[in-house]
Amino acid sequence: MFGWIRLFASRTRAWVSPHQVDREFEHELDNHLAMLTEENLSRGLAPEKAKRAARIRLGGQTQLKETNRELHGLPFLETFLRDIRFALRMLRKNAGFTAVAVLTLALGIGANTAIFSVVYAVLLKPLPFANPDQLFTAFQANTQQGIAETGCSYPNFEEWRAQNHVFSELAGIVAHQLTLTGRGEPSVVNTSVVTPELFTLLDVKPLKGRVFFPQDGKQGAAPVVLVSEDLWRGRFGRDPGIIGTSIDLDKRPFTVIGILPAAFRTPFFNTRQEVWIPLVQDPVFSAFMPQRGVHLLPVLVRLKAAVSVVQAQAEMDAISGRLAAEFPAENSGWTVRLVPLQKEIVGDVRTELLVLLGAVGLVLLIACANIANLLLSRATSRSKEIAVRTTLGAGRVRIIRQLLSETAVLGLLGGIVGIALAYWGVKALSSLLPSSLPQMNPIRVDYFVLGFALLLSAIASVAFGLVPAMFAANADIQNTLREGARSGESRNRRRARSFLAIAEISLAMVLLVTAGLLLRSFARLTSVGPGFDTQHLIKADISLPQFQYSTPQQWAAFSEKFLAGIQSDPGLQDSAVVVPRPIVDPNVSLPFDIVGNPPSSEGASRTASYVSVSPDYFRVMAIPLLAGRVFNQHDVSSAPRVSIISEAMARLYFPNQNPLGKQITFGFPRGSGGATREIIGIVGNVRDVALGQDPGAMMYVPFAQAPLWGANLVVKSTLSTSSVAAAIRQEVQKIDKDLPVTDVRKMPDLIDASVAQPRFRMFLLGLFAVMALVLAATGIFGVISYSVSRRTNEIGIRVALGASRKTILGMILREILIVTLAGLAVGLPSALVASHLVGHMLFNVSANDPATLAGVAFVLAAVAALAGYIPARRAMRVDPMVALRHE
Amino acid sequence: MAGDKSEILQGTLDLMVLKTLETMGPLHGYGIARRIEQISEEALQINQGTIYASLVRLMQRGWISGAWGTSDNNRKAKFYSITRAGRKQLHTEARNWERISGVIGRVLGIAERG
Repeated sequence: MFGWIRLFASRTRAWVSPHQVDREFEHELDNHLAMLTEENLSRGLAPEKAKRAARIRLGGQTQLKETNRELHGLPFLETFLRDIRFALRMLRKNAGFTAVAVLTLALGIGANTAIFSVVYAVLLKPLPFANPDQLFTAFQANTQQGIAETGCSYPNFEEWRAQNHVFSELAGIVAHQLTLTGRGEPSVVNTSVVTPELFTLLDVKPLKGRVFFPQDGKQGAAPVVLVSEDLWRGRFGRDPGIIGTSIDLDKRPFTVIGILPAAFRTPFFNTRQEVWIPLVQDPVFSAFMPQRGVHLLPVLVRLKAAVSVVQAQAEMDAISGRLAAEFPAENSGWTVRLVPLQKEIVGDVRTELLVLLGAVGLVLLIACANIANLLLSRATSRSKEIAVRTTLGAGRVRIIRQLLSETAVLGLLGGIVGIALAYWGVKALSSLLPSSLPQMNPIRVDYFVLGFALLLSAIASVAFGLVPAMFAANADIQNTLREGARSGESRNRRRARSFLAIAEISLAMVLLVTAGLLLRSFARLTSVGPGFDTQHLIKADISLPQFQYSTPQQWAAFSEKFLAGIQSDPGLQDSAVVVPRPIVDPNVSLPFDIVGNPPSSEGASRTASYVSVSPDYFRVMAIPLLAGRVFNQHDVSSAPRVSIISEAMARLYFPNQNPLGKQITFGFPRGSGGATREIIGIVGNVRDVALGQDPGAMMYVPFAQAPLWGANLVVKSTLSTSSVAAAIRQEVQKIDKDLPVTDVRKMPDLIDASVAQPRFRMFLLGLFAVMALVLAATGIFGVISYSVSRRTNEIGIRVALGASRKTILGMILREILIVTLAGLAVGLPSALVASHLVGHMLFNVSANDPATLAGVAFVLAAVAALAGYIPARRAMRVDPMVALRHE
Repeated sequence: MAGDKSEILQGTLDLMVLKTLETMGPLHGYGIARRIEQISEEALQINQGTIYASLVRLMQRGWISGAWGTSDNNRKAKFYSITRAGRKQLHTEARNWERISGVIGRVLGIAERG
C-alpha cells in the first residue's frame, strides 16, 4: 500500500518537473562515462579509443534516458495529456473546422439544455415541499353524472378528516380574487382560500408572524390573513410592524398574522398568490360550507409514512360508500380519486414539453451527424498521417484513442459554449413561457441541468467521434502510403457519409413537417374571426366588494349608474357591460329547457353559454343581428323577460323552426323554476370559449333582468388605453371611491395572449426546424463539395475524354438527388409518426396534411439542390489540364 | 514470453544490486556495475547502463536511497545505499532464490541420473 503511494508520489514528482529528472540522470551518466574512460585510460588505451569503449560499455544513452523517463512517468495520464495537447494543436491548426464544429455542437447542446431546464423544473424536479411524493390531491368524481374531477363539499371534507386513518393531514384550497383597499389605490389581489391545515401539511414556515392555527378555521373566529412577501415588500413598503395591523378585503377588515416567503408556491395555482384567508372568512365560499351537495373544495392530502396509495384509495372508497349510504341525496354515485400532486400540477403540459424535448433532441442528432460528416472528410485527408503513425507502431486502439481525444476536446468545447448559450436561452425562454406553464420550481440552469449538459456533450462526442475514428484506424495503410494523399475515398466511408447526409435530411424533414403543421394550425387559429370586431376594443374590470354589494339589485343598480356615467363621456359612448366576456373570461355554461318540449333526459341535457349584457353590447361588439330585435332600455326587471340566442343555438335546438317567440326556462339549478324567457332575437355566432373552439350555443339576457356579480366593461374607443382607464376610474370613484378598476387592456392583445401556448410551441418548433434545415443544408454542402474535390481527378479525365459540362453537372446533381430522395423516403414515414404525436395540438389541419408534406419535401429538395449547386458548379468548371496535373 | 524473461532478469539484477549495496555500503552507479562484473569474474558482461533502470525501480520501491556526494577523485556523483526495507527485502528474496535454485538443482540432478 505504502509502496504504491511512494511509487505514485515519485512518479508524480518526476512528472511535475521532468526536466530536472532528465538533467540529473544525464549528469549521472556523464559521470559514469568519465569513470569508465578513466578506467580504460589506466589500462593504456588511447584517449579516443578509451572514450569509445566507455560508450559501448555503458550502452545507448538515448535509449537509457528514454527508459528512465518512462520509469519515472505516469504513462496513462501522460499519453492522455499528450493526446489532448495534440488535439488542441490540431484543432487550432484547423480553426475553420473547429469553429464550425464547436458552433454546431454548441447550438445543439445549448438548445437542449435550455429546454431541459424547463422540463427539469416542471416535470422532473420534486415539488418544493417536504417529502413531495407523499402529497396527493383527492378529487371527487361521479361517473353517473359524467363528472371526472371536481372538488369536495366541506361537510364531506370534515367526514374525510374524521374517518380516515391513512392521511397524516388533509387541507382544502380554492382561489379567487378579492378587492384590497386602504393604504394606496384599491386593487384586486389573488386570494387563496384555505383550511388552516394547509400550512402544516406543506410544512411552510412563515417569514414573519405565524401561519393559521386550527381555531382560525372555526365558525366565529376573528378574520385573519397571511400576506405574501412580494405584497409586503411592494404595497406595504416592508413595513416591519405589519403583523397585527388590519387590511380590508372586499371592504371587510382582516388582521395580518404572518408573511409567507416569496419562494412559497401555492399548489394548483399558476398565478402568484398574494393573500391567504381561512375558508370560513371568505365572502363567497363560506356561504356554501354547510351544503353537502356543493363540490367546490379541491383537497390536498399527505399520506402517512408507511401507507401506500393503494391502501389510501381503498380507505377513501370505503368512506365514500359509507357517506353515500348515510347521505344518499348528496353522495350517491360520488367517488374519490387520488392523483399525485405533481401529476395534477403538471397536467397536459407534460406532452407539450416532451414534444419540445424530442424536437430539440433531433436538432442535436442532426448536429452530431454534421460533425461526424466533417470528421469523416477530415479523417480522409489525414489518412496519410494515420498510416504513418500505424507504420511507426501505433496500434489500432492507440489511434482510436487519439482521435477520440480530439472529438472529446471538441465535445467539451461545444459543451462549454453550449452552456453559455443555454444561460442566455433560458433567459430568453422565460419571457416566452406561456402563463399556463406551472412553475412550482424556478426555471434555471442549476447543477443538475449543468450535469445534463456535460453528459450530453460527452455522449455527443462519442456519437459523432467513434465511427469516423474507427474508419480512420481501419484504413488500408499500404494503399494509402503508396498512392499518397490523393487516394480516393474508401467505398465504406463514402457510404457512411451518404448515410449521414440521408439521416440529416430525414431528421430535418420530421422537424419541418411538425413545425409546418403547427405553423399552419396557428395561422388558421389566428385568422379565425372571433365573431366580433376587436378593433379599438378595450376591456376593464370593476370588482364589487362582496360584503357591500351582495344582492343582484345592488349589482344592477351599480352598473346602470356606472354605465350612464361612462356613456356621458364623449370618448366612451360605445361602452357596454357584459358578464362574462367572450374568450377572456371563463364562460358559464348552463342547462335549460324549452317550454312545450319534453324536458331533456339527465344524461343529454341542453346547455348553452349564458351571458348577461347591457343593451348596447351588440352594437359595441359589432355582433350582427340576424332576426328579431336586440335589447333596449325597456327590457328592465319589471318588463317581460326576454333573451337573444346565437345562430348556433338556433340551429342546434330549433332545427327547421323559427325560434322567435319560443319560450325557454334558463335557470339554475335545473328544475328550480327559473324564469321563463321569450326569445326575441337571433345574433351571429361568437367564439365564447377560445379562438380554437367552434362557437357553441349561446344565450344573452339583459343585465337589468339578470345581473351577475361584477361589472365587466367593454369600450370601443380610439383613445389610448391609459386615458380610457383614467376616465373609467374617475366615473367609478364618483360612485364609490374604494372600488378598484383593474386590467384595463386592449381586447386584441388579450385574444393574442389567449393563444400564447400554441404560439410558444409553434415558435420553438419553428426555430428548431430552421436550425435543422440550416444544419442539413451545410451537411449536404459538405458531402457534395468534399465528393467533388475528391473527384477532381476523375472529372478532369472525363472532361478530357469529351464529357460535356452538362454531363458533369448532371452527374453531381444526380448524386444530390439520390441522397435527397433517400432522405425524403426515410423522412416521410418518420414525419407522419411525429405529426400524429402532435395531432391533438392541431387546429383545422390534418396530421397528414398533404400541402404541408409536399411543401416540406419541396423546401428540402430546393435547399439540398442549392447546397449542392455551389460545389457542382465548381465541378463543372474543372479544367482537365489543371485537374490532371494536380496529381 | 519475452516479457517474462526480462522480468526474471530484472529481478536478478535488482537482487544483485541490493546485495552489492549491502556488502559494499554506499556506491555510485559505476561502482555498482564494476563490483557486479568483478564478483561474477567478468562472466556477466552487461551494458553497464542497464543497472540504472534497476536503481530507479529499487528507489521507487524504497529499498535503496540515493544522494549526491563526492567520489574518490573529487567528482560529484550520486551514491546509492540500501535502506532497512531494502535489507529485509534482500533477505526474503535471497531465501526465495536459494529455495528455487535448490529445487531446480534437484530437478536437474534427478534428470541427469535418470
